[in-house]
Amino acid sequence: MQGREHGGLRSAAIVNGKLELVLNNTIAAIEDGRSRMLDFPPVQALEAPVRHRLEVIFEELVANTIRHGFTEHSCQSIHVSIEQRPGAMELIFEDDGRAFNPLEMPPPEPFSSIETARIGGLGIHLLARLSADLRYERLTPTAPPSEDRAFMPTNRIVVSIAV
Amino acid sequence: MEMQHDNVGDVRKVVLMGRLDTKGVDLVETRFGAAIVPNGKNTIVDLTQVTFLASMGIRMLIATTRALSRKGGKLVLYGAGPGVMDVIETTALTDIIPLAATEIEAMGLVAG
Repeated sequence: MQGREHGGLRSAAIVNGKLELVLNNTIAAIEDGRSRMLDFPPVQALEAPVRHRLEVIFEELVANTIRHGFTEHSCQSIHVSIEQRPGAMELIFEDDGRAFNPLEMPPPEPFSSIETARIGGLGIHLLARLSADLRYERLTPTAPPSEDRAFMPTNRIVVSIAV
Repeated sequence: MEMQHDNVGDVRKVVLMGRLDTKGVDLVETRFGAAIVPNGKNTIVDLTQVTFLASMGIRMLIATTRALSRKGGKLVLYGAGPGVMDVIETTALTDIIPLAATEIEAMGLVAG
């Protein structure tokens, strides 16, 4: 149960100019990861509306993975890499959960009345609309799982936000 | 996430302060609904001090507005800052919940 015992953030490091976070399978990962992301100097330098978009995308993807992609109480994890690119901030999310391709999600029905409005499903819509580029790749683990295996991601989502 | 509520004449006024994210909604959603829905009054919601809005916050606003509507009341939002406005516009929330710039404008919309 390692993932449950260390709060939301398993590790954080800046490697070759990228911020690399490892998040545990707990809702606390949203807040703990977000706080660390906001301390990253290239993120601090963003204008407030761009930083807000970055935070929305981070929240929606991490929350979606934990709620729908992971087995409850497992020690699955999300590895996030954040890097400043020319004209964009790029985030790469890798996890070892169930397959989830946000690009295959149909757009939500337009709102027509408060009585019929869909309450859920807006997070992926926000993700798609707020990002400049969104890519998904289903990865194939190269070895069978074992207790001491290294992280073997099965989903990779690459998101770019115009800055 | 903090919340205050008061009455301005016959209108309920609710002030939200902080982040309407997963954690913030978890903290405030029950109190938000309890302050608005039971008495069925027309309501204005001050977003001036809301610093962040994600889909969980949108979900809370829709659910509460729907519950109030079933009691015959209207809900109007006002005072959204640039980041919050970005999310409101992206989700087209104003198609079902009116948004005003100021409290005075919100009072006019909720009375109209």
